[in-house]
Amino acid sequence: MGTVHARSLDPLPMHGPDLGMHPDDADLVEVEPETKQEVLENKDVVVQRVHVDGLGRTKEDLLGYEIADVFTAKNLIDVMKKSHEAREKLLRLGIFRKVEVVIDTSEGEDALPNGLDVTFEVTELRRLTGSYNTMVGNNEGSMVLGIKLPNVFGRAEKMTFQFSYGTKETSYGLSFFKPQPGHFDRNVSVNLYKVTGQFPWSSLRETDRGISTEFNFPIWKTNHTLKWEGVWRELGCLARTASFAVREESGHSLKSSLSHAMVIDTRNSAILPRRGTLFKINQELAGYTGGDASFLKEDFEIQLNRRLFWDSVLSASLWGGMILPIGDKQISIADRFYLGGPTSVRGFSMYSIGPQSEGDYLGGEAYWAGGLHLYTPLPFRPGRGGFGDLFRTHFFLNAGNLCNLDYGEGPKAHLKKLAECIRWSYGAGIVLRLGNIARLELNYCIPMGVQSGDRICDGVQFGAGIRFL
Amino acid sequence: MSLAAEAFVSQMAAAEPWPDNAALYQPLKDDQILLSDCASSLAVQAYLRMCNLPVQVCCRANAEHMSPSGKVPFIHVGNQVVSELGPIVQFTKAKVRGHVSGWGFSSSDLQLCPEGSAVSPQGHSLSEGLDDVQRAEMKAYMELVNNMLLTAELYIQWCDDATAAQITRPRYSSPYSWPLNHILAYQKQWEVRRKMRAIGWAGKSLEQVYEDVGQCCQALSQRLGTQQYFFNKQPTELDALVFGHLFTILTTQLTSDELGEKIKSYSNLLSFCRRIEQNYFQEQERTFGPLPGRQSLL
Repeated sequence: MGTVHARSLDPLPMHGPDLGMHPDDADLVEVEPETKQEVLENKDVVVQRVHVDGLGRTKEDLLGYEIADVFTAKNLIDVMKKSHEAREKLLRLGIFRKVEVVIDTSEGEDALPNGLDVTFEVTELRRLTGSYNTMVGNNEGSMVLGIKLPNVFGRAEKMTFQFSYGTKETSYGLSFFKPQPGHFDRNVSVNLYKVTGQFPWSSLRETDRGISTEFNFPIWKTNHTLKWEGVWRELGCLARTASFAVREESGHSLKSSLSHAMVIDTRNSAILPRRGTLFKINQELAGYTGGDASFLKEDFEIQLNRRLFWDSVLSASLWGGMILPIGDKQISIADRFYLGGPTSVRGFSMYSIGPQSEGDYLGGEAYWAGGLHLYTPLPFRPGRGGFGDLFRTHFFLNAGNLCNLDYGEGPKAHLKKLAECIRWSYGAGIVLRLGNIARLELNYCIPMGVQSGDRICDGVQFGAGIRFL
Repeated sequence: MSLAAEAFVSQMAAAEPWPDNAALYQPLKDDQILLSDCASSLAVQAYLRMCNLPVQVCCRANAEHMSPSGKVPFIHVGNQVVSELGPIVQFTKAKVRGHVSGWGFSSSDLQLCPEGSAVSPQGHSLSEGLDDVQRAEMKAYMELVNNMLLTAELYIQWCDDATAAQITRPRYSSPYSWPLNHILAYQKQWEVRRKMRAIGWAGKSLEQVYEDVGQCCQALSQRLGTQQYFFNKQPTELDALVFGHLFTILTTQLTSDELGEKIKSYSNLLSFCRRIEQNYFQEQERTFGPLPGRQSLL
């Protein structure tokens, strides 16, 4: 029998829903044609040995879990499939640059006639790698320099240092990530960071220095994150003309909070999904582990996608959140919710909906926002099959409201308050998909339901970001 | 804002009368405020009372960070925020006391200033009656107080290890929770010590600083002599400044009483403080509230 190679595939492993390989996205293996017409699929085989060649600092017990499945293969096609899956798992660890699979007949004294040896030839990543990226966040761009130490202690731990210089923010951070051997989805990470941000819609400048510990684990189909975060926040006025309400918020405060997030994501892609749903719920409790800030914050996000006729997709999304102060301390402007802009309710200026004072937007304690979108391919489908597939036309209807609640009243009064003075907008535009990371939009928006104090951006609006309503 | 825009805005502000809801912001009175901040705040309060301009004192834990220049106290008048005594004096000179509607003023004796804004007798600047020589002298003495007394207060608070550890750092960091309180207190201490090094006070010992304070008090006492106030019979901003510092030093308990003793050795300064307290802080107590009394800081 000739040797069979699994083809090396190049895409870098990334976290997120795009991790799995989909049947319509890649070919599995090539098989050299046999001169004899043997039906390979029905031949029973036994995998006798699995080697991993090329290990340097990686500890062997780590890999045992990833390659264990290969031993259970019963026939040749199964072996090829399972070794391909094992190869994907090894790549996902983020410690190898290249993994190649060689399947050969067993040789040696104890070789069975139908025995197979599978060898994974791996090339480890260097101890220290540097990177230079540009990043697109929500309507801002930045240059990111990174230093990465993959596989620091041999069990897929990763240490990263990042420095990011952007149009609005400058930040640096140090993070340490450790997955549980055998269960890569369960991992712990510790982060140290300093982030500065400027928010011209509130005339506010914020500097956060913090440390956070995060623990991720999957339960059945959901992904959970438990996090403790301690942040030293420094707020200041961005200009001498800041309103007094924002000036009153200046100063230092300490927030120590525990948060829990649950994500169920069945979409096929994070950007412009064609099908699937997303349900994300996040809660944060601050004040019980020290610090000055004391509140309970709830936040949820739902997105439903469905394919319609002719390659178009209907997408509906709903966001909402509420923050409750605990004790008599007022909620800081840095913890409140903001609404509006090209990434949430389109047609309004960035975060320029809701309570404001002298032109500075103060945010609110409760909000909801909903969007209904229809994505279709570009008219007449130019560049079909290539570049043109990255673009979509999109028709949208967005609505939302942001306000402060009076906590003495009951929930019915809260719902009533959120239902009055709804801002909404509709329009159409073009969306460009940037890899799997971000999307750019150019829309023509018509805002409606504008309340006094809101700032609108009717007509053409440009947006760039990761998370869109 | 450009200088031209700032001048325009102050001109606009000058046209508005002094509102009833003017507020003065300072750190928390009982737990947080330090000697130097209390002295500055009292000086501004005394000055505003001398001008007969009502102001409400608000205590905030983040007053220092709210202030546009980073120093307390600051006043919030209408839309304007002004900090420190010097700029506040400039600001009040342009202001009009009382309600002004068109040209029908209720008060009978009003004067017109060259700019065209009407000024009522109580609202005009305190140093208007001085000639140029006296005004220059007043500025010189104010500089003396700021460079000597205020710096000495800062030195004693932050550079003397005993005072810093027992009084200053615990008070400064009292509104914050652990570990932010230590971080902010040490950060402020480092900043003040760096400033002391820059002006050459780092090499001085505590005794030298007390000596300097004594000399400053002697100069003030000599200028005051047997007069009621430093210039003529009317108080000026210099009187407010000196009162603010001396009264606070006399009524504040530190690790040692030496500073207070230096002042007490000049009887005319003592009677000066008492006079201002009686004239401006007691008879108006009904409308303006009580004076910050003895503070025991230990």
